[in-house]
Formats: sequence, C-alpha cells, structure tokens
Amino acid sequence: MRNRLTVASLAAAAAAVVAVSLTPVRVAGQAPQAQASAAVPASRAPDGKPDFSGFYQAPVGAERGPRFSPSKMAPFKPGGEALFYEMRNGDPFHDEPRDFCWPSGFPWGFLAPYPVQIVQTPQFMVMVHEFQRLTRIIPLDGRPHSAKVEPSYGGDSVGHWEGDTLVIDTTNYKRWGLDDYHYVDPTKNRMHSDAFHTIERISRNPNGLNWQITIDDPKIFTAPWSEDFLMRAHPEWAKDGLFEFVCQENNRCPAGKCGDGK
Amino acid sequence: MKTFGLVRAACIVGLLAATTLPALAHHSFAAEFDRAKPVKLKGVITRLEWQNPHIWLFVDVTGDDGKVTNWGFSGGPPGLLTRRGVNKETLKVGTVVIVSGFRAKDGSNNASGGSVTFEDGRNVFTGSAEDAVPNR
Repeated sequence: MRNRLTVASLAAAAAAVVAVSLTPVRVAGQAPQAQASAAVPASRAPDGKPDFSGFYQAPVGAERGPRFSPSKMAPFKPGGEALFYEMRNGDPFHDEPRDFCWPSGFPWGFLAPYPVQIVQTPQFMVMVHEFQRLTRIIPLDGRPHSAKVEPSYGGDSVGHWEGDTLVIDTTNYKRWGLDDYHYVDPTKNRMHSDAFHTIERISRNPNGLNWQITIDDPKIFTAPWSEDFLMRAHPEWAKDGLFEFVCQENNRCPAGKCGDGK
Repeated sequence: MKTFGLVRAACIVGLLAATTLPALAHHSFAAEFDRAKPVKLKGVITRLEWQNPHIWLFVDVTGDDGKVTNWGFSGGPPGLLTRRGVNKETLKVGTVVIVSGFRAKDGSNNASGGSVTFEDGRNVFTGSAEDAVPNR
C-alpha cells in the first residue's frame, strides 16, 4: 500500500503540472454548443487517453440532489426493501453518523455538491472530493480486485479504459448509507448492503463528465440498474484548488447538543 | 462589549421561513437544527470562528428588556463560503447584522445561520451549498 501511495502521489504531482498547463485549453474548448465541442477534440493526456484532470461538481438542486432516482431502480427482491429503507431510530450515531465526522464513502459522499478534483495519470485516476476529503486512488494497470482487504466505506476500486470511457468496478463495501434520501423522507435512511457492487462509466461531456453509476446490489434488487449524472466542469476553481475540510476541527453540535460552550 | 441598543430578540415564524430548505452540510441539517423553529435576530458580531466543518458566528442580541444574550450561528464550511465570496472580512467583529436561521434542537441559544443581512441592506448566504440554489 505504501508503494502504491508513493507512486500515486509522485504521479499525481507530475500530472498536476500537466493539468495546470492544460487548463487554459479546456477553458477555451468549453464552447457552449455541443456541436462545436464535438468538432474540436477535447484535451488528451500524453498517453492518448481523454484527459479528465480538472475540477468538477456533482449535480445540485431540487431535481437532482445528492441521491438516486426511484424511477431508475430495479424492482426489489423479497426482503430487499426492508434492507434498502432503514428506519431512523433516534440514536444519533445510527441516524446521522456524519454528524460525528464518520465517513460517507462512495457513492454517498461523492455525490455531495462540493468540488472534486481529478488528477489523471496513466497508472491511476486520483479523485479528491472536498467534502470530508474523500479520496479515491483507482489503479488503471489491469490488476484484479484485492482479495485480502477488509470491507470499507469506499470499497475496492479498479479501473480500465474502454475506448474513451473509463470504467471503474468497485466491490467489498461495508453496509452503509447510499445517498441523502433522508432529505426527502426524514424518517428513513437509504442503505446499500454488504453485497454492494458499483460500475462507473465516465466519459467526456461538453459541460464536464458523464458519470454513469450502475448499482448492483443482489441482496436488495432483482437486477442491476443505472443512473447518469453530469459532473459539471468548473475550470475557474483551478486557481484556488480544493480547500481543507477537517470535520473534527470545530464540530460544535453533534447530535444537536450544542450546549452553551461559547 | 459594545452594544448598539438595537435589537429585538424576536422570533419571526412563518410559512415562508419554513420553505427555506436546510443546508447540505457535513451532516443532515435535521440532526442538529429544528426546522419548526426559525429565528431572525438582530445584533452585533462578537466573534467569528472561521473553521471547518462549519463557520460559527456569535452575535450579541439585546432583548426588549435590555438583557444581552450571545447567540451562536452555524454556517457553511469555510471553503464553500470562500468560493461564494464570503470571507472573514465580510463578517467582522462589531458589525451589526440580522441573521436568519433555525434553532438548535437542544433549545440552547444556537441556530443555523443561512442568511446574514447588513445595515445597508446587503445580504449574504452564509449557509451551505444548497441554501444558495434558486427554487430550493
């Protein structure tokens, strides 16, 4: 793991230089019309792959909050619905672990409408999300999933290119929150199981990146299903980069207990 | 501590306020604040904590009886606010402000603070991302 991180960080630094130098190109290439963008090849990495390096943000707003759409979902298996919708029970840690600075993981945290920076190298796709500094370092060298690691909040990801589309396969998740459904219904959390498996297909869009997430959760659904998100490009954020986000720094009201600690 | 004798610790409660959607912060808004208890308070900034995961703004509010109460208001994370043009200079100690938000669930003198209005009428969103989205 140490070698992997070291290689990643070195490669990331090198790619960051490339990314910065390419930023003006991307700004110029972001013509408002899809037709114009299609006619002008988007920037490519030195290895010929599409260059996804840059700053993006998940969808924000009433229609597309950080959650999946019921209309996209496959039917439940028997018992699946009870696994999917977990009632909030009044225990603050159960109901909102992020209130205690626990991670949101993937895809829950990743869909939060904060900036995400992608740094691309031939060996790794590095994604750093400002929210909770959720970091994904996805190997692209063809390695299989690791057989030895414990389940985690972000799962174990491996990626490969299919033409100009990056495909990321992730397994070995802990059972955890799926998305921010509780804004729709504050009585429930929406969860994925420990059999959760995701497949992401990422490709260029004139306004950013098309990000298709396929949800394969055989303990909950009868079939895999997919939803497409637009990760909107924000080249104007490159000059400042990501800001630090340390949840523990001044987390004043965990579980609503603010007290008088002024 | 200077106070300007302004003020009014009144809660302005109404359906309009209730339609303001909660902040998307590092947690569900509902974990800490009560949407059924909107507050709108005028006072003087006494302290600013420009820290993650939420900035905190402290305001001395003088009630009708002359008693001064210090209220805490939780805003968005510093990074999101900085990108929106809100910074430490925006919320200087000594500035008179009207802050709107929702009270803490524990009933203490703390609240979310999504909107700050200055004496000259300028208004800034100090909440998190979704506060600033139109039609939310």
